[in-house]
Amino acid sequence: MAKIYGYTGKALRVNLTDQAYATERINEAEMRGYLGGRGFNAKRLYDEVGAGVDPMGPGNKLIFGTGPLVGTMFPTASRFNVSAKSPHTGILGDSNAGGHFAPEMKFAGYDQIILEGRSRSPVYVYVKDDRVEFRDASAIKGRTVFEADGFIKSELGDRRVQTVICGPAAEKGVRYGGLFANQVRAASRTGMGTVMASKNVKALAVRGTGHVEVAEPDEFERMVLELEQEIREHEQYPGRMLMGTTRILMMANDAGFLPTRNYTSGVYEDAYMVSGERLAEEYNVKNRGCFACTIPCSRVYSIREGPHKGLHGEGPEYEALGSFTSRIGNNDLELALKAIDLCNQLGLDILTVAGCVGWAMELYEAGELTVEDTGGLELTWGNGEALLTLIRLIADREGFGDVLADGSVEAAKRLGKGMDRTIQVKRMDLIMADPRGLKGFGLGYAVASRGGDHLRSEPFLELSDDPEIGERMFGVPESTLRLADRGKGRLVSYFEDWNAVIDSLEPCKNIMQNMMLLPFERAAEALEVATGLRATPEEMREAGARIVTLERMFGVREGVSRADDSLPSRFRDTPLREGASSGTVVDLDLMLDEYYAERGWDAATGHPTPDTLQRLGLGFAVTDLP
Amino acid sequence: MVCSFQHTKKFSPETSRVTVIKDDRLGLDYPLMCRQCSDCPPLKACPTQAINREGGSITVDWQACIGCGACVEECRYDAVKLYDGKALICDLCGGDPQCVARCPTGALNYSEAPEFSETPWDAFNRLKEEWGIHG
Repeated sequence: MAKIYGYTGKALRVNLTDQAYATERINEAEMRGYLGGRGFNAKRLYDEVGAGVDPMGPGNKLIFGTGPLVGTMFPTASRFNVSAKSPHTGILGDSNAGGHFAPEMKFAGYDQIILEGRSRSPVYVYVKDDRVEFRDASAIKGRTVFEADGFIKSELGDRRVQTVICGPAAEKGVRYGGLFANQVRAASRTGMGTVMASKNVKALAVRGTGHVEVAEPDEFERMVLELEQEIREHEQYPGRMLMGTTRILMMANDAGFLPTRNYTSGVYEDAYMVSGERLAEEYNVKNRGCFACTIPCSRVYSIREGPHKGLHGEGPEYEALGSFTSRIGNNDLELALKAIDLCNQLGLDILTVAGCVGWAMELYEAGELTVEDTGGLELTWGNGEALLTLIRLIADREGFGDVLADGSVEAAKRLGKGMDRTIQVKRMDLIMADPRGLKGFGLGYAVASRGGDHLRSEPFLELSDDPEIGERMFGVPESTLRLADRGKGRLVSYFEDWNAVIDSLEPCKNIMQNMMLLPFERAAEALEVATGLRATPEEMREAGARIVTLERMFGVREGVSRADDSLPSRFRDTPLREGASSGTVVDLDLMLDEYYAERGWDAATGHPTPDTLQRLGLGFAVTDLP
Repeated sequence: MVCSFQHTKKFSPETSRVTVIKDDRLGLDYPLMCRQCSDCPPLKACPTQAINREGGSITVDWQACIGCGACVEECRYDAVKLYDGKALICDLCGGDPQCVARCPTGALNYSEAPEFSETPWDAFNRLKEEWGIHG
């Protein structure tokens, strides 16, 4: 067999219960079938974490995976996926982050690292090339992400060690604790930090001294240089360098889908005050990049005066910025930065915090929640001090914070009210884009394998509002009109497959997908010059569909069906009243019918059919169908 | 990475002649690399004369290098490291440094400059002062 490049071809299995470890081969069939990162993790999780496993018990597994392009100079190839059964949603947990952790995994010799079992005492796991140490973490138990990172680097005497850390919130059992690389690179959706903490592990630290080789160095370099030039010449380059994703906030407001006051409006009257533009003009001091990035869009800010004087750090991105501003009616940008910094230190998923706080504020304003319920907190729109207090209470699971620490669905159940005002799908609190102004995004939220989230599909082409693109790419002109419902099944399944490929090769989706730089054709070329494996564009897309469908089957095995592919009721029956997305609601049933047909899933149940499973090489999952 | 690729056709920060010192809390980064000092203490300290100055840059003769690490100790700017028992020092890619060519922010440029004694920590402190960051 010819040598395969790009991949390390190895997975490291770490058993925390026995403090043992071993490496396993990843074979060519797995590489072809699942590509890397997210795909590898989906397969491993499906094989090893069966239905009914307690997400916080030793039977769950926390899996880090990265892709064949990572560790090279392929632009933006810096990312990893971390996957487990989610303590927040009870279905597939999976989150992705950049920074410098993923390439370090490759240099240490691994495409995948699996943490299983549960340690008897608090540890952090230190992987140095082919050696693993289980190191005492009692000194950093309950400490912030920043403190723990400093401690580990100092104890190991190595500034170049890369860490992924869970915060004190996860250690207290908050169900949406995230994992943090380079302190602020958050893989924070679906509670992967909570899974790490449940295993009595504070961090995974990795240091690798090896190298990554590609199959065709000259062709590979040619492709890299070509991509770098396309990135620099791209119309989005200046805006991304200046503002990163925070550039979206004003765009979303202008288009009338900026979630405002828990999605009761799509327009925020104070949007400019909390915009990426304002951050860039008044606070940002420097750009930073992830490993191998040609378009380093992360920014460092500094607050030089006022009540938050001296606050500084990296970020934020749009989702966090919008979460603590328009979503809760807060126009104090500096307070939002403070809240974001606090969540990073405590290790919380900001979107879920904002989902819970926004929900509670809406109930409070409606008179359905009182100060008796909240322990004295006045949860009026925009009450920033209450937000800061509540973040600390959530992280400590104290008082009203304890009510919110399991997500909005559990909070509504516990209080016996407000379920209709929770903004979530499959228990995952939604992201920052109102689907009444982006119908395809709405379908994407409804069917996403990890619950209500846009990053499985992110069908941004509907923002073009150009019917010619829809006609050309999907045979349906309306598919690329953002307010139309038709054609979205095809649009979303295409984007889901595409994102699964990118999440598995592991460059940055913001650049490679949103800037249209790595379509299936070029992904196939990249795979070939990096690894030597040949695949057609059709085979790449099929790998994407395989990954999406296997992730669906993970949900199906836990009971997911069409009834769960839903959206909060307000998106289906209450139009927005103002702005450029007003007067329309989401026709979800029409879109779901189209989507299931496109996927080859049963329209009544939403389950993949046996034929579809066989066609995608997932025959092993047929017996798991209900 | 471009450094290791340029020299070995492999990707490996461990074999890069540029080392970036990072402080994630403060968001600071600083590249350590050879400053081509006129007096070059590592050159003087090398017991086997493996380090020389040729065509305007410092070179290492890997046949002669015995991996003793005297150069690593002597360099004022932590710009020398050992890999696999051999000293690694920036050779300016023969006059067209690829790190400069590929730097995405223009932070690196290649020009004649007086020797400067700044350490990463000096630079970090200067920026902290400038940005109003304390502690």
